[in-house]
Amino acid sequence: MSATEPSLTVALVGNPNTGKSTLFNALTGLRQRVGNYPGVTVARKSGQCDCGNGTKVELIDLPGLYSLSAASPDEQVVIDALSGHLAADHRPDAVVVVVDATNLLRNLFLASQLSELALPVVLVLNQADVAAEQGLKIDTELLSRRLGGVPVVLTSAWKGEGIAGVRRAIGEALVQRVRMPAVEWPALVEEAMADVAAGVAADIGRAPGRADVERLLFDSTTSVGQRLGWAAPRRDAVIRAARDKVRRAGYNPLAAEPLIHYERLRKLLEGVVQGGGNRTGGSAAVDQVLLHRVLGPMVFAGIMLGMFASVFWLAKFPMQWISGGVDWLKAVVAPSLDSMPMLQSLVTDGMIGGVGAFLAFLPQILILFLFVSILEDSGYMARAAFIMDRLFSWCGLNGKSFVPMLSGFACAIPGILSTRTIEDPKARLATAFAVPFMSCSARFPIYALMCAAFILPKYGAGWESVVMVGMHCVGLLFAVPTAFVLTRFVLKVKPQPFVLELPRYQMPKPRDVLWRMWQNAAEFVSKAGTVIFAITIIVWALSYFPRDPAVEQRIRANGDSVGAEVVAARVQAAYVEQSYMGRFGKAVQPIFDPCGFDWKITVGVLASFPAREVIVSTLGVTYSVGEGAKADSKHLQQVMFDAKWTEGPRVGTPIFSLAAVLALMVFFALCSQCGPTIATLAQETGGWKWAAISFVYMTALAWLMAVAVYQVVIRLT
Amino acid sequence: MTLETIIVGIVVGFAGGWLVRRWLAAARRRKEGGCAGDCGCAAKIQPKK
Repeated sequence: MSATEPSLTVALVGNPNTGKSTLFNALTGLRQRVGNYPGVTVARKSGQCDCGNGTKVELIDLPGLYSLSAASPDEQVVIDALSGHLAADHRPDAVVVVVDATNLLRNLFLASQLSELALPVVLVLNQADVAAEQGLKIDTELLSRRLGGVPVVLTSAWKGEGIAGVRRAIGEALVQRVRMPAVEWPALVEEAMADVAAGVAADIGRAPGRADVERLLFDSTTSVGQRLGWAAPRRDAVIRAARDKVRRAGYNPLAAEPLIHYERLRKLLEGVVQGGGNRTGGSAAVDQVLLHRVLGPMVFAGIMLGMFASVFWLAKFPMQWISGGVDWLKAVVAPSLDSMPMLQSLVTDGMIGGVGAFLAFLPQILILFLFVSILEDSGYMARAAFIMDRLFSWCGLNGKSFVPMLSGFACAIPGILSTRTIEDPKARLATAFAVPFMSCSARFPIYALMCAAFILPKYGAGWESVVMVGMHCVGLLFAVPTAFVLTRFVLKVKPQPFVLELPRYQMPKPRDVLWRMWQNAAEFVSKAGTVIFAITIIVWALSYFPRDPAVEQRIRANGDSVGAEVVAARVQAAYVEQSYMGRFGKAVQPIFDPCGFDWKITVGVLASFPAREVIVSTLGVTYSVGEGAKADSKHLQQVMFDAKWTEGPRVGTPIFSLAAVLALMVFFALCSQCGPTIATLAQETGGWKWAAISFVYMTALAWLMAVAVYQVVIRLT
Repeated sequence: MTLETIIVGIVVGFAGGWLVRRWLAAARRRKEGGCAGDCGCAAKIQPKK
């Protein structure tokens, strides 16, 4: 650790969706991803927090959890972090417990449990603005006194109110080290705990912590025994006898802990909270419609359709400006390289053409994330999870799978990582397997290119939106039956009940929405300037070399009867065909011929296996090389629109027919074309087996469906 | 060999080398228990053995 890094660590914990990450961002000045639904944070994130008195601490933002009984891997991360069992972390020096000020009783259960960890605590009552709106008055001084002097701070992290108070309270807590007062357990329960502690000490030779003893006694599925090295059958015998004592105290051993804690909390909160009563008015009325069995899915479909239509409509002009800018740049650069045709082709066809084709989709990405951020931050996405639960429960998953699936629409990697919120390992695996089917934003440019180039000119803007929504649904249509077969017949997942705490509706904060748009735009542009740029250069080289002068001589010798421009175009086309890329594409093309793909599309498909968005820049290069770097060079869309088969039974017909366009989009909707996603799947499933199965299954399915779509549509049109 | 060939060779070689280096770095990060994605978040959540 360097001298400038803080040596003190403070952990931020609380129930899901209480605003921990928002508070974390306010305290550290970072921009950690936040969302108005549970399960956004699935791993620890840290940042530096200034406590105001010269003390700097490392603040750790942890996933939300309802109690210290871990059921899912993300909850286990919290418990490991708090008890100092997380790799490279020591036990925190203090804990900031974030609770929802509008629901103190339920939220304080976790804070009450933390008393057993014997850590200094700061209690933050967040969402104070909503509590005030609901008419709730909270006496923080009285609560602090009843908690033995634990600092209690009222905040509205979303509005940035009370943040200075939290900083001060953390500084004080580290000095005064006030802990949550211990629970007074009934005598027999206390005896049962002593028996467990004695049993552990006798068998492993050291006394366990109080928190470990509670988990061993009260949790039926705890892994604490395994961690301590306390083995069955001796462990089981001691715990069984101790639980019998709890029963004699009048409690069910597995329900004793919450009953005793809540009994204590009810007394603690007497006179602390006053008022309230207008909790649900507006939200409940809106939910009557949005969660309605029939109206709910209809509203959801309408919102999605409207979103994509708006994305196209709003992005149309900015996209034209970018394409115009790319053409202008080509026209400016090309003449200065007239004496070096190879370098001219590299710069104009390769670098500018390839990257420019990719960058043209920036406005659509920006507008898409504007809508997604608004829907998430307003609280609607959690309602969408509730609606989707009906569909998911049919296929053996539950609504908890919705958040990973939803994340998968932006990128499959965070989607797969967020399956950690699912308790059942089999359901987690099935969800992780289904997430890559979701139409991630990397698929968006190819859909947008195909729709703008072929669907819009022939069928109009309405059909363009319908096809776009349809393509986003194709993945879901195959994910559901895939999950059904996997959960019912392969993994045999037991049905899990789905409990989701619906967040309240709120007005999205413009700063957060703009930040999310900026993050995605920066990532998109950065990708264009790095990976896409480098791949574009390689693709250009492979489609430019080798350049055998004999090819040109042969065409010129036979081209007396046609004009010079036609001869030049034939020369360029012949060079591309005999390039390394052309030879490779032609060799592999028979595999994709039943899908209606020519060798150039085949090259694009193959080049896209490491990252699917490469298809656009690859098509940009393969269709630009041969067009030359003329000032009046046509847009990629127009070049593709005019492209025709030059050989085979389809000679003279358009390569990009409706059948081929739909087949190409379906192929990209279903194919496993993302190296990092496959690696993440391997990491999260603990090996390469499921990652390999996913790759083979998705790729084979994509090919089969592309063939089916092409063969059916070509016969109908 | 012309100046043009040399420039193009350097650009293409640099792009290829950079891509290989990047993929090797990502593989190393994954081996060390880091994030498998290319996002560079370096999240490590492996519990202590």
